[in-house]
Amino acid sequence: MERLLGLWVDDLIEERPDGSSLRTFADLLDVLVDICPFVEPIRLGFLTLPLRGPSRFFGGDEAVFAAVRAAVRDVTGGDARIGVAEGLFATELATRQCTVVPAGGSAAFRRAQALEVLGRKELTTTGRRLGLYTVGAFADLPPARVNERFSGAVRVVHRVARGEIHELPDQRDRRLPQQLRALRGTVHHVDEQSGFFGQRTAGDDRAAAAVYRLRHRLGAEGVLVAELHGGRSPDDRARLVPWDAPRTTKLDPAPWPGQLGAPTPTTSFAHPVAVEIFDESGAPVRFSGRGQLSGVPSSVALTRGNPRRVAWSAGPWPLVERWWTAPRRRAHVQIVLEDGIALLLTTEASRWWLTGMYD
Amino acid sequence: MFAFSDKRPEISPDLRAALRPITLAKTKLIPLADPWGSFVPDGGLRRGSTVVVQAPAGWGGLSVALSLLSEASACGHWSAVVGVDDPGVSAIVDLGLDLRRVLFVPRPRGAWAEAAADLLDGVDLVVVRPPSKAAHGAARKLMDRVRERGAVLVALTEPTAPWPLPAELSFDITNARWVTSSRLEARYLTVRVGGRGNAARSNEHVVLLPDRSGRAVAS
Repeated sequence: MERLLGLWVDDLIEERPDGSSLRTFADLLDVLVDICPFVEPIRLGFLTLPLRGPSRFFGGDEAVFAAVRAAVRDVTGGDARIGVAEGLFATELATRQCTVVPAGGSAAFRRAQALEVLGRKELTTTGRRLGLYTVGAFADLPPARVNERFSGAVRVVHRVARGEIHELPDQRDRRLPQQLRALRGTVHHVDEQSGFFGQRTAGDDRAAAAVYRLRHRLGAEGVLVAELHGGRSPDDRARLVPWDAPRTTKLDPAPWPGQLGAPTPTTSFAHPVAVEIFDESGAPVRFSGRGQLSGVPSSVALTRGNPRRVAWSAGPWPLVERWWTAPRRRAHVQIVLEDGIALLLTTEASRWWLTGMYD
Repeated sequence: MFAFSDKRPEISPDLRAALRPITLAKTKLIPLADPWGSFVPDGGLRRGSTVVVQAPAGWGGLSVALSLLSEASACGHWSAVVGVDDPGVSAIVDLGLDLRRVLFVPRPRGAWAEAAADLLDGVDLVVVRPPSKAAHGAARKLMDRVRERGAVLVALTEPTAPWPLPAELSFDITNARWVTSSRLEARYLTVRVGGRGNAARSNEHVVLLPDRSGRAVAS
C-alpha cells in the first residue's frame, strides 16, 4: 500500500473566528501542490501526500521532509509535525507522534497503539474490563464476538483495527473541501460537489433511505458509487467508493494523452487475474523494451485452465506513466477469443494480467 | 430471511407516503433510449415490469442491460447495479448513464435478492445479476416487489442459468461479432426481443453495441 506523508500544523488545527486558520491552510496547500500534485487536505491543520513520487523527484524521503518543512515555515512561520505510514488511520497517528514508520511496518505500528486512538469511549471502557489495551489485542477478537458485544460503529472501528479499512469513518472533515472551495471563490460549484445528494429531490431522499437500509444489511462498504479520474487505462479512469465517502475529485472529462478510447471494458477487474499468452509456436509472448511483442498472440491461458484460442489481437499500446513516479512500463493488448469474447490484457514486468472484459 | 418477509419492521404510514413514488405505477413509462425504444411495444419500460437480458458470458449481456438504463438515468432516474463484481465505470459513462445517480452493490454475498429488494424501495431501475440460477421463489418475490413498487427490474442471466419465470420483456442475445481494425471498433449484437402480451411476438434486431463511442445504435 502507498506510503503517505502526514503533515500536522499545530497552529492551524483550531478554527479561528476570523477564518485566518483556513486561509493559511489554503495558502499552505497552494505551496505544497508544487511539491506534490496529490496533496490532500484531511482536516484543518492536517493533510497528507503520497510519498513515493516526490521522494524519487527530490532524491529521498529526507529531502521531501525538508522541502515540506520549508514550505510550512514560509507560510506559517512555524514548525510542523511530519510522519509517514500506510493508510490514513496509521498516518495520522504517526504524524501526531512524529514517527516515520518504515514501509510494511504500518500494521505492527497500528497494533501497538493504545485502544483510545480508535476514538470510541465505550470500546475503551469495555476493552479495559476485558483486558484489551491495544489496537492489536482488539483486532484479534473474532468479528463475531465483536458483533455480539458492540454497536455497529464499533464494528467499523474493528475493521479499521484489523486493517481492512484504512481510515476511521469520521477522520476526514467532510466540510473542509467545500470551505476551501468557497474561499477560492468557486462557491458556485457547491451544488454539484457538496455531497452525493447535492441538489436533493424526492428521488434522492428515497435512494438515500434505501441505501441506509442496505448498508445495514451489507456493511458500510456494501454500496458503492463511482468517481471519475483522468487516468489513462480503464482502471485508472474511475473507481468505486463507498457511497458516503468524501468525494475527492469532480468529474474530469478531459482525456489524458494516451488514453484508450471507447469502447472501454464493461468489466474492469479490481484485482487483475494473472494470465499467460503464447504465440503460434507455444512460446510465451513478451513485451519488449522497444515497445513490441515477441510474437503474435495465438492462445491465452486464463488461470491454470486449458489455453483458449485467440481469433484476433491488437496492440501493444505502451503506457508511460507520470514521469516523476517510479517508471512503470505497461502496455495494453486487446484480444478476441474464438467464441467472440473480447478481453483487455495488460503487461507489466514481463507478466500478463487480465484487466478488463468487453461484456 | 427476505427483506420483505413478515419480520421486516413496519414502516410508519407517513414515511411510507414519503417513500412512495410520486407517479403511480401504470401512469408512466420509464424512457428507453433508441434503438431499444423502437423494439418494444410501448416505446419505454413499463413501471412494475421485469426485463430479462440473457446472453452467454462475454457476449454483451452487461452492455445491453446497462444500455437499457441509459435514457432513464440521463433523465434523472436513480438506478442500481447488483451483483456485477467489477463494473467498468468509464464504459458505463460511455453508455450514457449519469453516474451521480447509479448505486453499485458489487458483491452482495449471498443476499443478491434481498439487496435488490431493498433497492427497489429507493431507485427506479435495478439491474441484478444472480451469481447462479435464481430460485423460483426468490424470483417470484422479487417480481412481486417490483410490481408493488412500480420500479423496473432488469435481470441479467446466462442461457445456462435462465431466469425461472416469464418476464414482461426479454432480450436474448444470440450472436456477437466484433468489428476490428487496428483495435476493437464496435460489436454487432443480434438481439431477439420478446415477452408477454403485446411483446409476445418476438423480433430479431441487430444492434451495434458498443459503437465507436461506446453507445448502442441500430445497425
